[in-house]
Amino acid sequence: MADVFLFWFLAVVLLVSGLGVVLMSNPIYSALSLAMTMVTVSMLFVTLSAYFIAGVQLIVYAGAVMVLFVMVIMLFDLKGELASFSRGKFTGAVKIASVGLLAGLVVGAIKETISSGLFVTNTTNNPIVGSGMETTKQIGTILFTKYVFGFEALGVLLLVIAIGSVALARSKGGTHAKH
Amino acid sequence: MGKDVFEITVNALKLVVIFLMIVQSVPILVWLERRGSAFIQNRLGPNRVGPLGLMQLLADAVKFLTKENFVPDSAKPFLYYAAPVFALIPGAVAFMAIPLSTPIQVGTFEMFGQSWGPYTFLFQGYDIGVGIVFILGVSSLAAYTLLMAGWGSGNKYSLMGALRASAQTISYELALGLSIVGVILLFGTFNLTDMIHAQTGPLTFAMFGHTISSNYLPNWGIFYQPLGALIFFTTTFAESNRLPFDLAEGEAELVAGFHTEYGGFKFNMFFIGEYAHMMIASGLMVLFYFGGYQIPYVSVAQVQDWATTVTSTPGWASGLTALIHFLSFSIKFAVFLWIFIWVRWTLPRFRYDQLMDLGWKTMLPWALANTILTAAAIYIASL
Repeated sequence: MADVFLFWFLAVVLLVSGLGVVLMSNPIYSALSLAMTMVTVSMLFVTLSAYFIAGVQLIVYAGAVMVLFVMVIMLFDLKGELASFSRGKFTGAVKIASVGLLAGLVVGAIKETISSGLFVTNTTNNPIVGSGMETTKQIGTILFTKYVFGFEALGVLLLVIAIGSVALARSKGGTHAKH
Repeated sequence: MGKDVFEITVNALKLVVIFLMIVQSVPILVWLERRGSAFIQNRLGPNRVGPLGLMQLLADAVKFLTKENFVPDSAKPFLYYAAPVFALIPGAVAFMAIPLSTPIQVGTFEMFGQSWGPYTFLFQGYDIGVGIVFILGVSSLAAYTLLMAGWGSGNKYSLMGALRASAQTISYELALGLSIVGVILLFGTFNLTDMIHAQTGPLTFAMFGHTISSNYLPNWGIFYQPLGALIFFTTTFAESNRLPFDLAEGEAELVAGFHTEYGGFKFNMFFIGEYAHMMIASGLMVLFYFGGYQIPYVSVAQVQDWATTVTSTPGWASGLTALIHFLSFSIKFAVFLWIFIWVRWTLPRFRYDQLMDLGWKTMLPWALANTILTAAAIYIASL
């Protein structure tokens, strides 16, 4: 009973905040809605008893990545970008094209899930995960054995991004840049 | 939550009581802070209202509650009102996960013509398997409060303060997280109660087949992780935006930082949020490095045995045991809260570049080194 209530409550909050991301015209409200979406997703992970993933989702996405997004959006005055995105023929065409793409994606996803029978919830096959530590151990073991190449490659990719952004910032003069 | 009405009710009430504990200890802490600062600076401090000035806080609370409610013209009202409410959430939710004492066992009893089964009530809001990850995750959401307040106020000083504060929070979160990795490696668990259990008995080092046991030192985490403890405690100062890391409200530069435009009860809620962060930091410090609620030289079982001889039923005995251990936790907790206050009135504020240098160039490498050293030591000891 409590599980069902929690699921529907979180699902509604998730959908509303997800819609907020795309429907808000102000980028700051949009980013804050995305943060809310992240928090709700992590709560949904808790209801699936994937505690470690829930915690990591909170720390990494909601606590670090989105905070930086919100910070940067607040730091820069985005009025020019806002205006350029709300009028103009080119922007209108881009908007219509993206609406079409999104609609196609949604319809395709629904058709695919109906035909493959994913809408039938199957709880008997779902292995009940134990306490937090065991699942964390499983994740760690899988990450460092089966998926070790992908894991390390992602680490290198992130390092490249970090060094690249520092190099780009320094080539323009860093914090002492003149406009 | 529980298996029947009684257990669910008690567990729900527990949440309310712990939240009230956080809120109600703020006036006492403020009194301690003002009297303590006066003592450190050779002044008297508030001493007129009530005995030792204790009623001053009641007067302040009434003043906060009866102030005029206003919104600045350029503010965004939704964010402006939401920020102080959100300021309380991360602190309160994270503090609930900290075990404050031993669980209370309640035996079977008769009520409303029905017998109620035996219960075990934990002396904390809720027990989460991945306690540390949960606390870190929830308290990392505190940065949004600052940003919402700063941007929602529509004031450049507020925005500058908020940006500074959140940049500082994010920078120090890295070192904070890494300093805890040592503790996780050491105890091999995320669960906070298991960590406390791992710190029982006298200090014992086991390496290369030899076991060295101390006669007078308790088995606390601080003796295994002195560097980790130092880094953890320092970063929590930055996380709770207190001196020497209170760049967010450098009053000579930014008026009052992100809460420049806030007054009355809304300001008070930010205040409570800051103290809640302080309490989480002190609670975690006690838990990771100072044996949690355990009393040195006396085991939980010994206290339980003594309590059984004094009281009539096992239920009362476990209640008395929990109370004694809660007292032990509170004493350690109060010591760290006092250190927070002591440091605030002793050290001057950092400059912004010094703050970032300390975070990124000193704390982070040392925390990394601590992690690697701990991992190596554990590996060698397991050979």
